[in-house]
Amino acid sequence: MAKSSHGIGGLAYDPAKRTRAPEWNVFTALVLIVAAFEILGRVFLGDSFLFNTRDNVDTLFNEQRLQIIILQVSIVGIISLGVTQVIITGGIDLSSGSIVGATAMVAMSFAQVAMVNGNPNPKAIFGPEFMDLPVIVPVLVGLAMGLAAGLINGALIAYTRIPPFIATLGMMVTARGMAKWWSKGNPISFPTEGYASIGQGLIPVFIFIGLALLFHLIMTYTKYGKHCYAIGSNEQAARMAGINVAGHKVLVYTIAGMLAAFAAVVLSSKNLTAQAGMGVMYELDAIAMAVIGGVSLQGGRGSIIGTVIGALIFGVIISGFTFLKLDAYYQEMVKGAIIVGAVVLDQWRQNKRGRG
Amino acid sequence: MKKTLMIAGFASLMATTAMADGIGVSMALFDDNFLTVLRNGIQKTADETGLSVQIEDAQNDVAKQLDQINNFIASGVSAIIVNPVDTSATQAMTDAAAAANIPLVYVNRQPINVDTLPDNQAFVASNEVESSSQGFIEQCNQWAAAGKTEVSVYVMQGELSNQAAVQRTQNYTDVIDAGKCAVKVTVIDQQTANWSRDQAQSLMTNWLSSGAPFDGVLANNDEMALGAIQAMKAANIDMASVIISGVDATQDALASMQAGELDITVFQNAAAQGGGALDAAVKLAAGEAVEQKVYVPFELVTPANLANYLAKN
Repeated sequence: MAKSSHGIGGLAYDPAKRTRAPEWNVFTALVLIVAAFEILGRVFLGDSFLFNTRDNVDTLFNEQRLQIIILQVSIVGIISLGVTQVIITGGIDLSSGSIVGATAMVAMSFAQVAMVNGNPNPKAIFGPEFMDLPVIVPVLVGLAMGLAAGLINGALIAYTRIPPFIATLGMMVTARGMAKWWSKGNPISFPTEGYASIGQGLIPVFIFIGLALLFHLIMTYTKYGKHCYAIGSNEQAARMAGINVAGHKVLVYTIAGMLAAFAAVVLSSKNLTAQAGMGVMYELDAIAMAVIGGVSLQGGRGSIIGTVIGALIFGVIISGFTFLKLDAYYQEMVKGAIIVGAVVLDQWRQNKRGRG
Repeated sequence: MKKTLMIAGFASLMATTAMADGIGVSMALFDDNFLTVLRNGIQKTADETGLSVQIEDAQNDVAKQLDQINNFIASGVSAIIVNPVDTSATQAMTDAAAAANIPLVYVNRQPINVDTLPDNQAFVASNEVESSSQGFIEQCNQWAAAGKTEVSVYVMQGELSNQAAVQRTQNYTDVIDAGKCAVKVTVIDQQTANWSRDQAQSLMTNWLSSGAPFDGVLANNDEMALGAIQAMKAANIDMASVIISGVDATQDALASMQAGELDITVFQNAAAQGGGALDAAVKLAAGEAVEQKVYVPFELVTPANLANYLAKN
């Protein structure tokens, strides 16, 4: 089928090379999975997954279920926005889950109330002068934690040239150690009302969607975004083209660290507690969301929209299995199969396009 | 130069491993809330009696725990306390300590070889069979007192690979089968939330989205009970219309009980277990005989006796 257009750099319009945006494939998968749960539900339970079947509620859809589908993945979703940018530049970030743990502990320490039900706060970390602080203090402390962790990740990767896997693995272990050390393993609870309001109700969803939109625009329309793709596609070429690759990498990892830290603030607020074990395995869930959404681990390919759809697929699976009253064992097995399946399909599609 | 460095290196290595006469403690996991209280109980008792303890974190890794025990043995500790990661992997630990003739005390989790422990080994814990059954029986009584004869409940399990989660869930069935529950109980669904408040919150919301009427939630621990409560509050469910039970009596749970949300929890005396384990270890190290199975009782906590527990863990 070789057309002459290849010889001139593929600039000429070639209908054979026109493909749907890869996000459409992911979206199709999402629709298929939802349809599968809908059908299974109707066949085995006589109940609907998507639509409302309760008499006492007057809506077409089961709104509560639609809400929880996205709410339960919003926090890891926020992390995955940063992870997506890292992976697009050809890197990887294993530290985000541990950054969540460490940040949640430290931020929550600055968000405590002095009195709980008329008694002094039994989980107090600092003295009374650090109690009942305005909500901006713990949020800024949290973001500063993420900034520091991300900066260290980025600087290590850009300037010592150690592989991102190793640098962020180090941060993963160190930050988890810090999360445990901070209060010697004790949970930190009883935040101020202001802090507690950050993660209540559907606010995590709005934060996730808002940040997703923001970073979608950044990745699509700004120099920052273009440089991410350029570095991920061909780092040497990007350097030749005059992109400050080292500086850009520092920036990308810093943003990823801050997004993980922000997720920690939302998570600890939503749960009204911070615990040293928070965020374990979140980094892998975040990577999986991106990968399911079509972000290539080789770098240079993928999008924020894809990752958001990947996150939704995760949410649909969790809710779908609970809806079908299936055990958690199957949930994990299917989750694993879907991650691998998504990448296999993606690879296959890429090869086909490469040949075509 | 190189040689001096090497000697200095070896010297510092030896300094860290040589901690004779102390007591070595290997905890299954440092970032578990309950085990942290237990660990603090050991540390506190040690500080009070002027003993030196070295506490290690096995990070939920069976192999790492056995390595830690062997390191303790190699450094000549006077006794070892183990909070087993996996209760079925304790035989090797018992053998290692017995071969070196160093006393060993298991704490909190019952080792599989509990009935064949050598003379200088012991086990200190609470009997998990009591844990959730106490709370559940009280829950049944409260339903009966509210005039109900048949109830529908959701069950939230801890990590499925965890012995306590399996036992606590089994307890519900056993209580029902033994006819100890005052009302007829139907389990609508039973799922794991991995001990986690966040997962419990999502799970409960997923359940609520199916709209099935229910009378209560049985949670394997307080964290999950609190997650369920937060989800119900978000869905504007009247907390007086449901009865929620957990296990652990954590500070967060007690605060929730004060606020009229959580109804029942069960206090497992972690500090007493930690202190008891240290006592047993010290006695065994001194060559005294101890009771080989020491059970620290679970205690039921309801709003009526809540005040007694506010300062306990």
